[in-house]
Amino acid sequence: MTEQQKLATYLAALFTASWLTAPVWLAGGLIVVLLLCWREAGRLLRRAVLASATFSGTVSLAYLGHAWWLSQPLPLDWLLTVNLRVGLMALLTFLFIERVNLFQALSFSRRLSFLLVLAVSQSLGLRRTLAEFRLGLQSRSPRPAGITARYRAAAHAAAWLLDRALANAHESAQAMQSRGMFR
Amino acid sequence: MIRVEGLSHRFGDKPSLLEVSFTLAAGEKAVLLGSNGSGKSTLLKILDGLIAPRDGAVFYEEQRITPDQLKHGPLRRRFRQEVALLFQNPDVLLFNPTVYEEIAFGPRQMGLSDIDERVAQWADLVGVTAFLQRPPFTLSGGEKQKVALAALLAVEPKLLLLDEPAAALDPRSSGWLVDFLADLPITLLTTTHNLGLAPELGARTLVLGEDHRLLYDGPIEPFLNDTDKLVAANLAHVHRHKHGGVEHRHWHTHDWQ
Amino acid sequence: MHIPDGFIAPQMYLPLYGLAAGLWAYGAKRVARDLDEATLPWLASLTAASFALSFIALPLPGGTSAHVTGVGLLAASFGIWNAFMAASLVFAIQALLFGDGGVTTLPLNALAMGFAGAVAARGLFLLLRRTGLALFLAGWISLFLPAVLIALALGAQPLLVHDPAGAPLYFPFGWSVTLPALLIPHALLGLGEGALTVLGGRLIERLRLRYRHD
Repeated sequence: MTEQQKLATYLAALFTASWLTAPVWLAGGLIVVLLLCWREAGRLLRRAVLASATFSGTVSLAYLGHAWWLSQPLPLDWLLTVNLRVGLMALLTFLFIERVNLFQALSFSRRLSFLLVLAVSQSLGLRRTLAEFRLGLQSRSPRPAGITARYRAAAHAAAWLLDRALANAHESAQAMQSRGMFR
Repeated sequence: MIRVEGLSHRFGDKPSLLEVSFTLAAGEKAVLLGSNGSGKSTLLKILDGLIAPRDGAVFYEEQRITPDQLKHGPLRRRFRQEVALLFQNPDVLLFNPTVYEEIAFGPRQMGLSDIDERVAQWADLVGVTAFLQRPPFTLSGGEKQKVALAALLAVEPKLLLLDEPAAALDPRSSGWLVDFLADLPITLLTTTHNLGLAPELGARTLVLGEDHRLLYDGPIEPFLNDTDKLVAANLAHVHRHKHGGVEHRHWHTHDWQ
Repeated sequence: MHIPDGFIAPQMYLPLYGLAAGLWAYGAKRVARDLDEATLPWLASLTAASFALSFIALPLPGGTSAHVTGVGLLAASFGIWNAFMAASLVFAIQALLFGDGGVTTLPLNALAMGFAGAVAARGLFLLLRRTGLALFLAGWISLFLPAVLIALALGAQPLLVHDPAGAPLYFPFGWSVTLPALLIPHALLGLGEGALTVLGGRLIERLRLRYRHD
């Protein structure tokens, strides 16, 4: 299967899963996907659960609590359905991330792949420096920095990022031009 | 003053430092050398208590230093006042609305009283008095670095760590920096790529090899004259070149930038 | 707002995708119109910056911290379409490369935060003549308005899709819960975003003089 086909399959599977409302089908789907994960099943399932746990957990508990408070029967069907669905869709996504190279999958569109590659590679460098802003403030603060200082540092980091974006954009455009990207 | 024992660190599974141990005494000026990726910046951040090393320990005046220890309290106050780190990118240190405020930040945090005098004194020493009312980010790279230095020194630290301070400076500014650092009565640890400048920044050198271990710890002159060691540290290379019309190859160094 | 996949029904996300796709197609043209060759690198850099922005944590009174979206800042400084396209790309990157947020919730996020948020922010900013207050409100609304829209979208799920007995099959709460639950915290979070937008916006005004590019 090519990377594009994998991307299409993933999207189709995700779409299908989003329609399912019967726990039986959802559980079945989950088992199939776990099998597809093979050796990574445990790790990917854990990542999927962690990624969705905060939101799902909060909503589930709130809904259960709400029913209990109103002395209504507990919505266990809902609980099962939605959590299975959320889990299945998250697992599909992590399996996709594990097995498919998104950059290659998007190679059908030259523009889109370039956009993605440039954006991701630049953001890695930016994030490293971003971490430095936090460290810089920490290093200079004999007492934990006050809220004003932290906001100022955050604002400087944000402005620096956007300023870098302008600088990077100029440089990338020149580099691409020099390599013959623009005809 | 600062003692490091068996320091090891890695990012994910990429090693960054391996069993590094050394001691820096008060008043010493040392230079940290090493090729790109040998772990110099990481070491400085660990020394400044910003990163917790995977293995090993850092002791500042016999007090163990880790980011957790430095979260609150008297140790934090003392350490952050006595140890300062000049990051390679001075931008990350500057965030106050004017140069004056920037230099005043540290002393204010410490509750010192003679703020005006301090700011004036340090601004004058580094030569940024003309910019006191300007926002730091409008200054050039070299000027920002001076402001950062003044801001760090205004709290009168005992140990100054510098990460590639000469990297982005033009010759005049780096000349100024060398003199300035030489005159400071303070313990220094400076990293640099610039082998020509290195002896001016300290009498002792610590060299990190590509294997992330400490390759050499001792006087700087003998190291710079030892071609084998330079090659081992990836600080010297060989390529064809000409001397006076005759082409040949031999190991040599450049002022790496 | 990282709503995972599975809470929003296809009956909602499919039409939203349709709407978003139309806006993306138009947005691509608008961004390209002013930049031609430089469009790709420009958009990539802006996306990288927005993505990185989402990692800045703002301290909030009470000891917690919130993450910046920066849409207000982007919209005020670079305009609606740049902000929308960059934000949309960021959501796509987060979902497809990091599993952060959902693929089915992508159009909702892009439309609510990237589009509505940007429009409101830019509108307020221009209306109040680019003052400091304008920046603050732009930042605030860039967080608050999307929260309203998302609360409406989530709260509509039980109405939109339910089993024959009327029980919800996707997100279970209606507007009486989602509106207060989302609006109150975001009204407060918006204060932080507003503060950041003022400070950041001022800085950018001065920095951009260097490039004279808008």
